[in-house]
Amino acid sequence: MLVELTVNGELKSADCPPETTLLKFLREHLMLTGAKLGCDVGDCGTCTVIVDGKSVNSCLMLAARAAGRDITTIEGLANAQQVHPIQEAFEELGSLQCGFCGPGMIMSAKNLLDKNPTASRPEIKDALSGNLCRCTGYTKIIEAIEDAGRVMSSTKPLHSNL
Amino acid sequence: MNTRMKNLNKADKAEITAKEKETTTPLVKEPHEVPGDEPVTYPLQFPQHDSRLQTPAVGQRATRPDGRLHGLGQTQYIDDITFPHMIHAKILRSEHAYAKIISVDTSEAEAMPGVFATLTGKEIPTNTFGPTLQDQPVLADTIVRHRGDGVAAVAAVSEQVASDALAKIKVKYEVLEPVFDPLESYGDKAPRIHGGDTNVYASKIIKKGDVEKAFTEADHVFEQQFTTQMVEHVPLEPHASIASWDGNGRVSIWSSLGRITLGRQDIARTLDLPQSKIRLIGTIVGGNFGGKNEITNEPILALLSRKTGRPVKAVYTRGDEFVSSTIRHPFVMDYKTGVMNDGTLTARKIRLLLDGGAYCSWTGTTIGKGSILAPGPYNIPNIHVEAYAVYTNKTVTGAMRGFGAPQVCFAYESQMDTIAEKLGMDPLEIRLKNAFSDGSASPTSQRLQSVALKESLNQASERFGWQEPKA
Amino acid sequence: MRPFEYIAPSSAQEAIALLAENGENARLLAGGTDLIVDLKHNPGNTSLLVDVSSVPEFRGIEETSEGVRIGSMTTFGEIMASPLFQQKMPAVVDGAHTIGAVQTRNLGTMGGNFVTCVPSADSVPSVMVLDATVTVVGPDGSRQMPVEDFFVAPRKTALESGELLESIFIPKASLGKPSAFLKHGLRKGQALALVNGAAALWLDKDGKIVEPRLALGAVAPVPLRAVKAEAFLAGKEASDEVIDEAAEIAVSEARPIDDFRASAKYRRQIIKVFTQRVLKESVRIARES
Repeated sequence: MLVELTVNGELKSADCPPETTLLKFLREHLMLTGAKLGCDVGDCGTCTVIVDGKSVNSCLMLAARAAGRDITTIEGLANAQQVHPIQEAFEELGSLQCGFCGPGMIMSAKNLLDKNPTASRPEIKDALSGNLCRCTGYTKIIEAIEDAGRVMSSTKPLHSNL
Repeated sequence: MNTRMKNLNKADKAEITAKEKETTTPLVKEPHEVPGDEPVTYPLQFPQHDSRLQTPAVGQRATRPDGRLHGLGQTQYIDDITFPHMIHAKILRSEHAYAKIISVDTSEAEAMPGVFATLTGKEIPTNTFGPTLQDQPVLADTIVRHRGDGVAAVAAVSEQVASDALAKIKVKYEVLEPVFDPLESYGDKAPRIHGGDTNVYASKIIKKGDVEKAFTEADHVFEQQFTTQMVEHVPLEPHASIASWDGNGRVSIWSSLGRITLGRQDIARTLDLPQSKIRLIGTIVGGNFGGKNEITNEPILALLSRKTGRPVKAVYTRGDEFVSSTIRHPFVMDYKTGVMNDGTLTARKIRLLLDGGAYCSWTGTTIGKGSILAPGPYNIPNIHVEAYAVYTNKTVTGAMRGFGAPQVCFAYESQMDTIAEKLGMDPLEIRLKNAFSDGSASPTSQRLQSVALKESLNQASERFGWQEPKA
Repeated sequence: MRPFEYIAPSSAQEAIALLAENGENARLLAGGTDLIVDLKHNPGNTSLLVDVSSVPEFRGIEETSEGVRIGSMTTFGEIMASPLFQQKMPAVVDGAHTIGAVQTRNLGTMGGNFVTCVPSADSVPSVMVLDATVTVVGPDGSRQMPVEDFFVAPRKTALESGELLESIFIPKASLGKPSAFLKHGLRKGQALALVNGAAALWLDKDGKIVEPRLALGAVAPVPLRAVKAEAFLAGKEASDEVIDEAAEIAVSEARPIDDFRASAKYRRQIIKVFTQRVLKESVRIARES
């Protein structure tokens, strides 16, 4: 079936079988490999993307259902001139070790900070409960999200000179 | 890089010069020169002082060189790589924990539309591998020793077709009585999982002093058994590889393997190929923790690629990851410790039984490190450690962060608490009383340097208010 | 996943017709957080997915003169963000909050959680204590039932073949009723409940308990109304002693099982403590309001 949707502001379409998940559609049909397949059952969060302003596990959503919607993936956060404040904070604070959880973590962080840039630590932790990191790097991830929130809400970041 | 280091070094020197002026006894007489682009002269001159103070990296912020691409989602892991005409492989796992394989019939799977090739253990030139003992089949051909053993593989146009084809493979088994309990496996009556006259495949003994004599002289003797469980690494990136056999008989393999040099030796062995014919490309690994320290399906993909003339990719499912990748060794630990009334440890006798699962993997390293660390970081004059690893019909145990150290740490620290409680001592005090310090000897009589254990314990206890009254 | 066809009907009638035409090989797709996982591992004979997540009759949160109607395809994310729920049914928000994680709550629906019909369903106790009813629609029209009657056995609802869950209804009398929800899992995030529970009650001007409700999950084959404990509480002083005794009665009503997550004995202990806590919290809210 032909699936047409907006990804990172661009209209995209591709023909795929109906059983194609949004994750597979992004990775294999649109070659956007930023979202990862980690568990394939919606537990690990590596496949997190934002659909119509809400974060979802793209491994649990059919591409067919995403048709006509507005999708943001990790590839849509930075442009040639500017990385996103969350990406910058993650880099600056060394929040990612193996990196595999990174795109999903950052998309969950964006989903939170877009709505609540001054999120507290408990709110950040709650927002990340669907994203696993096995390198045990949560502390720096949470710090980076706090820091990025300060940039996004134009208050002074504590940890870095962003 | 060198320029930056030199600049930093100059700054350090300036700071040190300033300090020298202030104090009568300078901290450092001759600042250690960090070698830059200057020619090296022999004999090498080694600094007399603690060179760590002079390392430019200490105290500096560092960002990971790969951090930017990780955050942009542009790091290429195996599953992000694709090639024209690439096909996908899946592996059929055993239905039984322990069984003889009577026959494997792949004909129906092979006839399915979309299937390019199948592979069984009999087609693998040398069907054994392993980083220590080569006791593990790439694909089991005569016997399966745990549920994670692969018995056949399929390469097909998609992962789904490959999975569907697995269901068409007919394997006949003669089921054998499995052994799951390491204590039972250690005993006389258990079936011998790898033949021979014992299931013990690795052992270690460490002796120091005379424990039996010390026990008779001790005021108290504590005997306890501790056990730990299986732990899977659960790297967020499942094991993944791609193999591509070219027209000149060389194979290129992209793999999430963490130890590619060792891995290439093992792959060369299984394929009966010289190492020069194998190009192994290690990509950025999405979490290893010891679980990606040995080859898994690389030879299978290589042979499927040779059969089909196409690049073949396989990514483990999370299920594959749990049943067929290695896990942490469960330990059964018997601790007998002699203690004086004042809390001084005088003797410790330990038996470790490592549940090795179906194959050896990195048990050699684990049993070594586990045994040496088993008595704990305490000055104990009399020590006896015996450790045995036994085969069981369970998931293969291998390397995982610490190689046995966390298991024994759980045991000795638990026992320290028991002893403290029995003697009415503060748990911190009994540790400080017995803890290693500079110059202490390890159980294997290594003289230890730079031991900051007591300082660490004291600082930690201050920070979390150990001495404050408990609520 | 194995191949299947996908249709997203635009009305309830169309969905009902599709189910009737395709029989057992057609499955309803709501949020997909259970079904898609299931299809990856146990596809069975599924040949058609009928995606009802955008069917207008199954969508939306609506307050009428009689109460609040929740379309079965309302996501937990929508419930948590709804000012109506935050103000008048905060325990339902708390229940929704304990389900999965942000990403799964943005997909998962209350109707899906009901139809999946597992004993530990976290969205059930907090609506059960508000005397919720459900509306199901099918080829022969629609019918209503109390929410307790919807759950028949593990993974078996009162839906007849060809029927769909249209909406959940909270009567006006229950809006703003002092209520609390608690869940205990092996971890905080994304855990299945070992025990969950909710309470709701009013206090009259003498401080006596009126219309007490107590519901427990994961303690019996289906979510359970602890009716004996409720009967005991009705008309009594809201004292700690009364609540403790009600908790003992609730324990006796529950039929928890031993499984790899927890023993029945442990679950009974949690039931007691949780019953005490949800009742005390409800009383606290009632006294403050």
